[in-house]
Formats: sequence, structure tokens, C-alpha cells
Amino acid sequence: MSSSLAGVQDNTIEDPTTRPTLVLGQNDFASVTDKVCRIAERGGATRAWKIAFTASVATTLMLFGMIVYLISTGVGVWGNNNPVGWAWPIVNFVFWVGIGHAGTLISAILYLFRQRWRTSINRFAEAMTIFAVICALVFPGIHVGRPWLAWWLFPLPYPQNMWPNFRSPLLWDVFAVGTYFTVSLLFWYVGLIPDIATIRDRATTKIRRVLYGFFALGWRGSHRHWHRYEVAYMILAALATPLVLSVHSVVSFDFATSQLPGWHTTIFPPYFVAGAIFSGFAMVLTLMIPCRTIFGMQDLVTMRHLENMCRILLATGMMVGYAYSIEFFIAWYSGNPYEGFTFLNRAFGPYAWAYWIMVSCNVVAPQFFWFKKIRTTPWMMVVVAIFVNIGMWFERFVITVTSLSRDFLPSSWAYFKPTTIDILTFTGSFGLFFSLFLLFCRFLPVVAISEVKAVMPQAHPHHHDDHQAHAEEARA
Amino acid sequence: MKVSPENIIELSERPPRLGEQAPALGRRALVVGCLLLIAGLGLGFSGHHGLAHVLHAWLVGATFVLSIALGGLFFVILQHLTAAGWSVVLRRQAEMLASLIPWAAALFLPLVVVTLLGHAELYPWADHAWAAADPVVSKKIGYLNGIFFTIRMALYFVVWYELTRWFVRNSVAQDRDGDPQRTVRMRRSAAPGMLVFALTSTFFAFDALMSLDPHWFSTIFGVYFFAGCAVAVFSTLILGSLALERGPLQRIVTVEHYHDLGKWLFGMVFFWGYIAFSQYVLIWYADIPEETIWYKHRLHGGWQYVSALLLFGHLLVPFAGLLSRHVKRNRAALGFWAVYMLVLHLADLLWLVNPTIGGHGESEGMVFGLTDLLLWLGLAVTSFGVFILRAQNQPLIPARDPRLDESLGFENQ
Repeated sequence: MSSSLAGVQDNTIEDPTTRPTLVLGQNDFASVTDKVCRIAERGGATRAWKIAFTASVATTLMLFGMIVYLISTGVGVWGNNNPVGWAWPIVNFVFWVGIGHAGTLISAILYLFRQRWRTSINRFAEAMTIFAVICALVFPGIHVGRPWLAWWLFPLPYPQNMWPNFRSPLLWDVFAVGTYFTVSLLFWYVGLIPDIATIRDRATTKIRRVLYGFFALGWRGSHRHWHRYEVAYMILAALATPLVLSVHSVVSFDFATSQLPGWHTTIFPPYFVAGAIFSGFAMVLTLMIPCRTIFGMQDLVTMRHLENMCRILLATGMMVGYAYSIEFFIAWYSGNPYEGFTFLNRAFGPYAWAYWIMVSCNVVAPQFFWFKKIRTTPWMMVVVAIFVNIGMWFERFVITVTSLSRDFLPSSWAYFKPTTIDILTFTGSFGLFFSLFLLFCRFLPVVAISEVKAVMPQAHPHHHDDHQAHAEEARA
Repeated sequence: MKVSPENIIELSERPPRLGEQAPALGRRALVVGCLLLIAGLGLGFSGHHGLAHVLHAWLVGATFVLSIALGGLFFVILQHLTAAGWSVVLRRQAEMLASLIPWAAALFLPLVVVTLLGHAELYPWADHAWAAADPVVSKKIGYLNGIFFTIRMALYFVVWYELTRWFVRNSVAQDRDGDPQRTVRMRRSAAPGMLVFALTSTFFAFDALMSLDPHWFSTIFGVYFFAGCAVAVFSTLILGSLALERGPLQRIVTVEHYHDLGKWLFGMVFFWGYIAFSQYVLIWYADIPEETIWYKHRLHGGWQYVSALLLFGHLLVPFAGLLSRHVKRNRAALGFWAVYMLVLHLADLLWLVNPTIGGHGESEGMVFGLTDLLLWLGLAVTSFGVFILRAQNQPLIPARDPRLDESLGFENQ
């Protein structure tokens, strides 16, 4: 009895005889609904939200300003030079697409692996995924040189009979990211339907009732609805799983199908996927930890959830570290002087600072998660996660820029320096991300209410029998 | 089946073991396997390619056995790492498969000795004069030489043996004392264990398989080998469970476990395809001769049929075959796919190894015949015998694992 009481307080204790409780405190179905819905039902926005939203929108406007300036002036406003034709825009694109991986991993792959703890964090992570992919899509769009012709990327039949180059991985990217965005959005929306219906049913104003009612698609919670819902969810999970792998694999093809040392290496697809999950989880942790405190959701997003995310961060960080080491080893083993040079140049050349930032943030920083103390102390997790976010941006910078800046021909080597416009555009993309994210927190249920209920002990058919047994035990 | 507490108590007091006929079966397998090996060696040495062919066929067979053992080790570590509940009744089988590692080391011994003695029929770089004169290989002579190769091989096997021993010892000790803290300890060592496993199996793949063509290199190669190990072990676990379910594991292994094993097999078939495709498409696309030569050997002289067999037989056909839920829950169908995937896994290893007969990065075309089949079969059957003889020493399930009831009562949604 005492052990089960202790389990309620701290669900990070390793006890193989029982599974950890995923919802803490004195919660029942009603209190979970109430806790989550209240966040989206506040009459007026809080002061903190208003300040954050205003700042984010202002930053977004700066992004739009930068884009207008870019298009009206030309790509010369960026630091891109010859030979570094792919610089910050592509780095930012890969960075944001990577962040957009955690959501679908949590909702699809962890679902297939029956990781029940995913229910408290999947909604949040999926929303983040979608916003991150939106930010990502901005960059290739404005990088094409003549953005008003970006629609040529799509295979549209029109009189000039011009088709995109189907052999180019850049085109595969259009399809891969497009498909991923569509399926992620659908998946997120399907999961939202029962919860939107809950908010609709609790609505006190007409406008809320109509709007949430519209998006709830007439959900009534009947058996048939739930049956269809479960089937749809399972199919979407199965479809989304290969997409988690395919998107970043195709992004890696953008680099790896070339002949450039440092870009062309066969481990790129799985290595990019591991890196994407790594960066995505880091971003989930970075945002989740403050949010759970602000919204008072410590009972739903418990320490166990955070600890599990730290473990995934450690595991994927190791995979990234594995890829770095194998790349380095094979660069030497290949006996190819260009390969060897590229990697030595990364570690000791003019961009050595970026390389070592990458290694320290991505390989060294997650090692702290070997310690349970750090895996269970929120502020420490945030620090490590932010380091990982930084490190993963630098990884893409190192891959993209160091390889280009010094390729086969020393006479055409050049050092890349970003301009203020580069920096402000990237900063602006964070504004876009946070504006969307804050809207989500304000108007939608940030936790999947119906799914969390399913992992509560009350949902277990024998729950009440257990209660009786416990009561008898206590009496004895 | 519905598991009652009485069942579990009975299981932990009298855990299922192999039947009394097992030792005889094991010994018979050893005898038959040895006869097959003798026939294979005789045929091989009298053949046109002599020692070279024997060594390559032996490497395929030994790697096949090792890949199942390594897959077993991976399975055990993974279950502890993720604190899995569904798989507890299968874990002992995987532990016993991993316990084949010392035997696999014995199978690799002749290959290592031949290489250490400077015979270059298997690894061209073992010919020191040739290696020193080759403009590419001469740069990596510090890595690719008989002595360092032997040291590394010894290191891999010692590491795998120690890892296996740690997990098996704790698991078997738990059968006796039922201490749940052992489970906690095993979970704790699973994380560093996985790291060590990843690095050693990668470098083993580089050394034993990739260096057959010492000019060629591919960073994904370790992952490719790992994917093969995973396919092999899930197939083997399916077959092992099917065999044991007819006897001691009746009503312990259920259709729910097959369903999950089937999902894993399906997933790993797909993962193998993903890795194989990634490697191929990147090398094909960049079209750099020092890399494409490896595929050129495998797309000419008869090997193109094996390449096509792998694309269709190792990926597309089983993908379609294993997709359905009904197949994964049907013992006969799943058993068929398990045997099928083991055969295709052998074809994959053949495709990695035999095109390098001819030495020095050249290919002599399609060298494959009865020698290969006899040696593979001999190695597989003797290994089966060793497996049976070892497996009779302990119960067939971790009978007092704290999550045993979860596994016994496990149901897919």
C-alpha cells in the first residue's frame, strides 16, 4: 500500500512490478476535461499571452518585410556567394523541417509501439510539427530566385509544355514535404475532432458553439463514431510512419545525391531522420516545460513524460553522434583525399568554431541525460534542450556551408558570412512559428483529452474491482 | 487465454523446459551438420575456385549464424531498454540465440587464422605486398592488416560474449530468486549495452564484409548489416515459438505474440529495404566509379538475377505478403514467411560476399553452387544442434520476470 502511495507522488521510480501512473493527483474524467478545456475557454486572453502574441506577430511582420525586401531587391541581399550558393535559407529550411518530425513520430510511431505516455504530449507536438513545417516551406519558396515562378515546381500541364525535372531530389522534396504536411494536418485534425466537440458542448457563447460545432463535424460520441475514429486513426498512423522516414530522407537526398565530399555519403538518410527526431524532441521539451507550468498541467504532463522525452533525446543524440563518427572514420578509410580533406577542414578549418559548437551541443550536451537528477529537473532539461536546438541548426550549417565553401578547386574557395537580412529573416521565422503556436494554445485543447482518459486507471474495466480490493486490503 | 494468478505461480515453480528428447535431437543435428560440412569442404576444395570458394561460402554461413545470434542480443537489449512487457515469454529464446556467440566465434576462427597467415583468397588486403603496392589500400594498411584485424575480431566477440553473459546470467538468476531489482539493473545496463552493440556490429560489418572489396566504402554499411540481423532474428523467433508452442510453450505463446512478431518482421523487412534503397540510390545517382564498381559486380555475370531477387524477394513480395493482419495472426502463413525471409537473408549475404571471389576487388562472375549450399546447411544445422544442447540447461521462459503476467495476458487492441 505504501509503495502505491509513493507511486502517486513520484512516477519516475523504476518499479518493474507495476506500470507508472500517467495521470497524477486526484483527477477523474471530469477534472481532466475541465483542466484542458479551461485553457481554451478563458474569456479574455491573459496579459502574458497578449504580450507574447504581440511580440510574435511583430516578429512575423518583420519576416514578411524581409521577404518583400528580398523579392523587390534580389537574392544579393543575402550572404550567399559563389561557391556558397546554398546558405542560410537552406539551413533554415532543413532546421524547421527537422523540428517538424517529433509530432508525427509521437503520434504515429509511438502509437504503433503502444507507448501510452504519448497521449499527454502528442497534440502539442503535432501542432508544433505543423507550424514548423509551415516555417520550413517559406524558405525554399523564397530561395528559388524568382519566387513568382515557384509554381513551376508543381507538375502542371500548361501550354509551354514545361515540366519540372522529375529526376531532381529537389522536386522529390516538394512532394515529400507536401505529403508530410497534408498527412500531419489530417492526423492532427482527426485527433482533434472529439475534443473540439467537447469544447463545443461546453460553449457558452453562440459564436463559439457555431465555430467549434463546424469543426467538430457533427461528432456525437456514439459507438459508431468512435469505431470509425479508431480505424481512421490507426490507418493514418500507419500511413504517417513511413512519412516520418521519407521526408527527411528526401531532404538528405538533396545533399547526398551530389558528388560533393561531405554531402555525398550513404548514411545520410537514416542519419538525417535521427537528427530530425532529435531536434524535434528538443523543441517539444523546450516549449512543453514552460507551458505545463503556465497552464498548471503538471498532473497530465508528468515528470515521467518529461523523463521519457529526455531518454529519447539521449538515444537520438547518440545516433547522431554515431553518424558523425562513422562519417569521419569512412572519410579516412575511403582513402579519398577529397573526403579526408573535407572532414579535417570541418574540424580544423575556418569553420571549426561551427563544427565544435555542433559537436558540443549535439553529442556532449545530451550526455547529461544519463543522470536521473537532470532528467527530472525541468530547468536543466530546458537548458540541455536549448543547446540541442542550437546544435542542430549548426549541424545543418556545417553540412551545407563548409562543404560548399571549400570544394575541389582551391581557387574558388570563399568564406561565407551572413548579412543582417539573413539573420532577421531567420529570426522572423520564429515569430511566425510562435504566433501560430500561441493561437493554438489559446483556442484549441493543448492535450488530447479523450486519449489521456483512455490511459487513466478509471478507463480500465476492472478499475472499480481493484478499488474494492484496495479498500479491503486497507481495512485489514 | 485468460491467465489466472494460479497459472503464474505454477509457471514460476515448474517453468517449461525442453523435452527429454531434446539432447538426442541436438546430437543428431551435430552429426548431420558435420557430415554436410565434410561433404561441402570436400566438394569445395576439389572445385575450380578451391580455397577461395570454400572461404567465401563459409563466411556466408558463419555470418548467417552470427547475424541470428547478434539479432538475439539486440532483441534482448531492446526489450530491457524499453521495459517491454509483451515480449517476456519470448525473451529467453532470444537469450539462447545470443548465447550462440561463442560458437559463432569458433566458426569465424578458421577465417581469421587464414587471414592472419597472409592468405588473400578471402580478404585481398591480407596479401601485404599487394596492399602496399595498391595506391588506395596502402593508405589504410594500418587498419587492414592481419594482426589488427585479429585483435578487432577478438574484441567484438569478447564484447558480445560479455554483454550476452551479463543479460543471460541475470535473467536465469531471476528464475531462481525472482528479484525484481535484477530487471531494474538490466534496464540500466541496456542503454550503454545498446551503444556498444551498435559500434561493434558496425565495425564488424566493415571488417568482415565491407573489406572483402578493400577499395569500396559506404557509411551506411553497418546499418545495412544490422537490418539483416533484425530480419533474421524475428524470423527465427517466429519459428522457435511455433516449434515450442507444440510442446512446452503451449498456451504460453499465443496468437497475440505472433501478431507482434509479425509486425516486427514486417517493419524490419521494410527497414532493410529502406536502408538498401538509400545506399543504392545515392551511389547510382552520384555515379562515382569508385563506388559504382561494387554494384557493377553485382549487376553482371549472373549476379543481376540475385540483385533482382533481393529487390523483389527481400522487399516487395514480403512487404505485400506480411501486410495483412490475418497473415500475422495465422501460424502457418507467418511460419512460411519466416522461413522465406531466412532464405532471402542468406541470399542477401551471398550477394554481399560471393561476388568478391576472384580477389583484389575483381569479380569472377557468378560463383555459386552445391558447395555453398552444403556448407551453409552444415553450419546452420550444427549451430542448431549447439543451440538445442545449450537451451536444455534452463527454463524456456524467464519464469519469475516481474512482467511475465503482462506478457501472458497480452492482447493487441
